[in-house]
Amino acid sequence: VKITQRDLEQDGFSKNPFFQAIIAEVPEQHRSKEGHCKVGYALYFFAYSSWKGRSVYMEDLYVMSEYRGKGIGKALMSKIAQLGLAAGCKQLNFAVPNWNKPSVDFSLRQGCWNVTSDLGYHCMRCEGPALESLARGEAKH
Amino acid sequence: MEFRVRAATREDCRDISRMIRELAVYEKMPDGMKISHEELERDGFSQNPFFHCLVAEVPPQHRTKEGYTLVGYALYFYTYSTWEGRSLYMEDFYVMPEFRGKGIGKALISNVARIGKEHQCVRLNFSVLSWNTPAINFYLNKGAQDLTTSDGWHCFRFDREALDKLAEEAVKQ
Repeated sequence: VKITQRDLEQDGFSKNPFFQAIIAEVPEQHRSKEGHCKVGYALYFFAYSSWKGRSVYMEDLYVMSEYRGKGIGKALMSKIAQLGLAAGCKQLNFAVPNWNKPSVDFSLRQGCWNVTSDLGYHCMRCEGPALESLARGEAKH
Repeated sequence: MEFRVRAATREDCRDISRMIRELAVYEKMPDGMKISHEELERDGFSQNPFFHCLVAEVPPQHRTKEGYTLVGYALYFYTYSTWEGRSLYMEDFYVMPEFRGKGIGKALISNVARIGKEHQCVRLNFSVLSWNTPAINFYLNKGAQDLTTSDGWHCFRFDREALDKLAEEAVKQ
């Protein structure tokens, strides 16, 4: 992780935020042994499909290990679906590494499908020096 | 060949819509596109746009036989990485077949990267079909990584019906 708490505050809570987030909270009597009541989160932003229109992308979904299996992850994901639909979205997308079997199984159980396996889309990324070169227009053709 | 890359305007949406359909045909999913150019106008050109778009334009003397002067586009939006921060996602990137090999694609993607940089974005993400060798080579030549092959990342999706069902189960607070 390269970003700081300050980056999150600036990028998520200014006039034109880059993301939004929801938190799962338990009452005091169920706090973790370190005293945390915030036990899970989901971070998302609005995206676009040139075929279907408005969509929502779930960047992160996490529940502390000792609080799993209680419906918290599903509640977080459902809330994002609700917020997305309220904003006119027709799709919810997210990514999971295919070796993460618990996450893959959880996801499929909720009713989604695997775009990479079924259609063959690969996730690509340009960053660091390659992105710098591209921005300067120097990339070799 | 002379061309220019510029930000799309609301009036370009009919052409963008046409090219989205052409790209869908190329991707072997000709019926994939379900939205209208009016929806593109509403979602891309209002106060809080869901996307941004660059178009590649040729002068009238190079127009296509149907009379089109918009010959390519790149549609993108801002995203966020909880590890690295501000990022960009390039949803579509397309140049009409008869205008390829002239530097238009490179100009489009370079401009997307440049705009990202101006907004302090540190990543440009996009996806490509595994059989689309020309596109994969184009991207790999520019230093892109294939995260599906290298790290096993898979894209998952809830479509409308499944999304409705999931939303119904949201915990009432």
